[in-house]
Amino acid sequence: MSTIRQIAKEVPRVPRIAVGILVAILLFTMFMVGFDQGHLFSIVQGQPAFDNMWMHEFYHDMRHASGFPCH
Amino acid sequence: MNSINLLAVTIFSGAIAGTILAIINLGLVEPYIDSAIALETQRKISSGENVDMAELVHYRIWQKGGAIAAGAVYGISLGALFGIVFAYGRKALPGDSNKQKALFLAGILWFVLYLMVAIKYPANPPAVGDPETIYYRQSLYVGYLAISGFTALGLALAWKRVQLGSKKILFPLIYAAIMIVAYVALPPNPDKIGISMDLIHTFRVVTALTIGLFWGILGIVFGSLWDRFISREEQKYATV
Ligand SMILES: [Zn+2]
Repeated sequence: MSTIRQIAKEVPRVPRIAVGILVAILLFTMFMVGFDQGHLFSIVQGQPAFDNMWMHEFYHDMRHASGFPCH
Repeated sequence: MNSINLLAVTIFSGAIAGTILAIINLGLVEPYIDSAIALETQRKISSGENVDMAELVHYRIWQKGGAIAAGAVYGISLGALFGIVFAYGRKALPGDSNKQKALFLAGILWFVLYLMVAIKYPANPPAVGDPETIYYRQSLYVGYLAISGFTALGLALAWKRVQLGSKKILFPLIYAAIMIVAYVALPPNPDKIGISMDLIHTFRVVTALTIGLFWGILGIVFGSLWDRFISREEQKYATV
């Protein structure tokens, strides 16, 4: 007689989908807050976005306060 | 563990901690940013550069208006990272309660992702960085951050697999050794500092404290929400 042993996981696993979404949120928001120099808006706005840097200015003070390189 | 619960706990605690950080910053950090910008403007004017005061004021309104939202987004970003590490590492973290575990993890992340990096590339108020070198400085910053973060992650993963007993003291020593090598090997921030060192030192100390406070708040809020939503959900599973 053969028995199939199932090892029941007591703890429900960490859901992969949620982790995937969190990684995407982490990368996107981190780029926006800490590193964008006009890149995101340039996708629709083109070159002027690099001069206006709306995103950079919006996150500007936070960028300094959290230790990111700025000006 | 339910996806929605994990996402909600993570994003919500990040947003709360980030918003509180932004409010604290408006009181504690903003005055230094203002005086640094005033110094910078003065310097530009005295060097004969044309400063459009209306534009400057316009930018400052936008920059301050963004502060709260920017804080929330910053919080969500680091909250997402925190949530992933906590979900996978909860069992291995020391502490009797989820709040203690979360607070411990918050302390580790502040040390590895903020303090270690700040020792090599400390925060600067406006008027220090040269816009010309921004991409170079960003790569140095990210490189050093990645070395610290991935070394800590690798050691944390190895911690459970390796049976070293009392030799586990080696782990922090390996981390320290790698960080010392990285500290010596990577070039310094290339920009010359042209404003008072007093202002810069105070700015660095105050921001290191407010970011530390942010991590502490994130840990407490995250641990409480985890107890409320995720532990409860798991108890439900266990009794079925
Ligand atoms: Zn700046």
